[in-house]
Amino acid sequence: MSPRSHSVEAVHAACGIGSHALVEARLSEIGPLRDRATPADTPPLPPRFLRHADEQTVVGVRAVLEAMAAHPAPRPSFAGYGVVAAPCRAGRFATAQSLAQARVGGGVAVSPHVVPQCSLHALAGAVSVAFGMHGPNLGSSGGNHAVAEGLFTALSLLADEAAAPAGGVPGMWLVLCGWDREPALDEQGRPTAAASADEPICRALAVAITADIEAGNGMQLAIHLPGLAAVRPAAGPRPTVTDDILALARALAAGRGGFWSHRCPWPAELLLEPARAARLRDDTASPAREAA
Amino acid sequence: MRLASPTGVARPPIVITGIGAVTPLGNGFDTVADALLAGRSGVRSIDPGPFARESRQFAAVVERIPPPPAGTTAVDAGAFAGLSRYEQLCASCVAHAIADAGLAADAPRLRIGLVLGLGAEHLKTWELDSLSGGTEVLQPADDDTLVHRVAGMMRLHGPAVTVAAACASSGYALALGRSWVAAGWVDACVVGGCDVLSPTAVAAFYNLRALSRRSDDPAKASRPFDSGRDGFVMGEGGGCLVLERLETARQRGGRVRGELAGVGMSSDAAHMVTPCSDPTQAARAIARALADAAVAPEQLDYVNAHAAGTPVGDAAEAAAIRLALGTAADRVPVSSTKSMSGHLISGAAAFEAVACLAALHRQSVPPTLNLDDPDPACHLDHVPHTARARPVRITASNSFGFGGANLCLVIRHAA
Repeated sequence: MSPRSHSVEAVHAACGIGSHALVEARLSEIGPLRDRATPADTPPLPPRFLRHADEQTVVGVRAVLEAMAAHPAPRPSFAGYGVVAAPCRAGRFATAQSLAQARVGGGVAVSPHVVPQCSLHALAGAVSVAFGMHGPNLGSSGGNHAVAEGLFTALSLLADEAAAPAGGVPGMWLVLCGWDREPALDEQGRPTAAASADEPICRALAVAITADIEAGNGMQLAIHLPGLAAVRPAAGPRPTVTDDILALARALAAGRGGFWSHRCPWPAELLLEPARAARLRDDTASPAREAA
Repeated sequence: MRLASPTGVARPPIVITGIGAVTPLGNGFDTVADALLAGRSGVRSIDPGPFARESRQFAAVVERIPPPPAGTTAVDAGAFAGLSRYEQLCASCVAHAIADAGLAADAPRLRIGLVLGLGAEHLKTWELDSLSGGTEVLQPADDDTLVHRVAGMMRLHGPAVTVAAACASSGYALALGRSWVAAGWVDACVVGGCDVLSPTAVAAFYNLRALSRRSDDPAKASRPFDSGRDGFVMGEGGGCLVLERLETARQRGGRVRGELAGVGMSSDAAHMVTPCSDPTQAARAIARALADAAVAPEQLDYVNAHAAGTPVGDAAEAAAIRLALGTAADRVPVSSTKSMSGHLISGAAAFEAVACLAALHRQSVPPTLNLDDPDPACHLDHVPHTARARPVRITASNSFGFGGANLCLVIRHAA
């Protein structure tokens, strides 16, 4: 018995795009970003809201603010939106600093902020809390496949929510985040390359995705599940998370001429493409399953 | 206006066909169900560790992590022994769930997804590495995350995703996996989550004033809904479930343990740490789960509460249950199994889904231990001290997490 193709090129889910923004910040720029005023016509953050936040949360929240500011009028209410945030190795600075402090001062020196502010959920939680979004909020991935896992999570939850009998969320904020290269830390958990010429850069891309494709900008993000044997993992060196983020951001910036595809580490492909009639199929019978 | 997702299409029934559980109450469904219904506590004194805040530490710990059953993985016993405790926990839960579902032989030929709720994978990995002399936290390795390593071990070819919503993480894993199975993106999906104790996590929660300080009698420390509650007890372990469509499970002769009939999610959007005293959004998650399952409040036979034993959180949840269930809240039995298991953090929601399955299979509601003096602010139909035998066909399980994440699952007998 050999694996057979599942459903070839079936679009199982697609969503529209409301707005997006890419924010890049050098390591030394992140501190000042914590208290920077929000863009015009965007909600203010609660005072000192980002004081204990992870660096990727600071940049990710800023990306959401910039994307809100860039949203074409009329800007929708985001109160019903959900949030899926996929950072990459978040919380490392705080963990290293907390461990260094604990070694000197014992358990009393362990920061109580690390778990709530620097775990994988923290960026999504911060966006939800900061902007009053009551849809589901969750983190995704945390590692090398943050773009694939984040998009897959957001699109599948949005599609599922759209099928909910009580009415689903109108959209979600997808926030993808990571360092272009992981900053090295000293024994105290302080970055060794801060304010130097080769400072690492943290990149965050925020995208407002909508269940209603026609309410978006004419483009769609889609998931293709072409079958177990049909998609092979990409050959060659694996791009970094921020390479993936940059590629998607550039395609989004190109507007209706943009195109982006991304092979997941499992047999599936993610696409940014012009909005079109999605070939909806409730294609649930796997030939592999039937054969088995 | 057009939606490119299958709106208006009734979801097919999604059922649970496999269970893997590694917990402070023992391993495997029957052992865990026995312990829950006997009212056994898994909380005990532990080695204080390097960052202990008090000379006597206590927690609910896993005594033994069973290796994967034969045929579930290419990882042999020697290689399994060489994995980190965190990897062992996850791999064991996943492998036992697959074996329990009878899918081990077919797994490489099917599209089986994997969703694990792991709220702090890297934090735990870096900490445990650092405490054993490593330097990954200073310059991290480029390793794949646990979910991908475990998917590789089990030869799973479907999507593999980590999700995190703090203490509700593994509940969101169930929600996401259910959506994949319902949409036909996977033939089956292994869903759940795990957590391991670590010295700084215990110290951090202690410093947050979230942990009970009743170190004189550990088994009495976890007291959800009790007037004398003073915080939760850390636990470790977790569970995984195999989800499939009812139709395909029946076609292959799979054993159906229950139906994941409803999911409701919402966010408080109030505070990053403190539970929200306004029950509106938590109640909305419960109401959405009931609506998703087409269940009326009075049809519920049991609610497994999130109730961890914190003064603010338990009262807020009781208010949310009352708001969502209305007058039915006077008649629906509610208990918190964290009184026995401690709080498994990322693994809590999956473990508590197993507790609901135990109630369904044994026709008995697990108790809340140590509920000597129910807090009037938590007025519900409690099940103190001992299990309550009664017909149980429909259950609900609440999970809440930092960042204001609310989730409710409805689990019932499969039709």
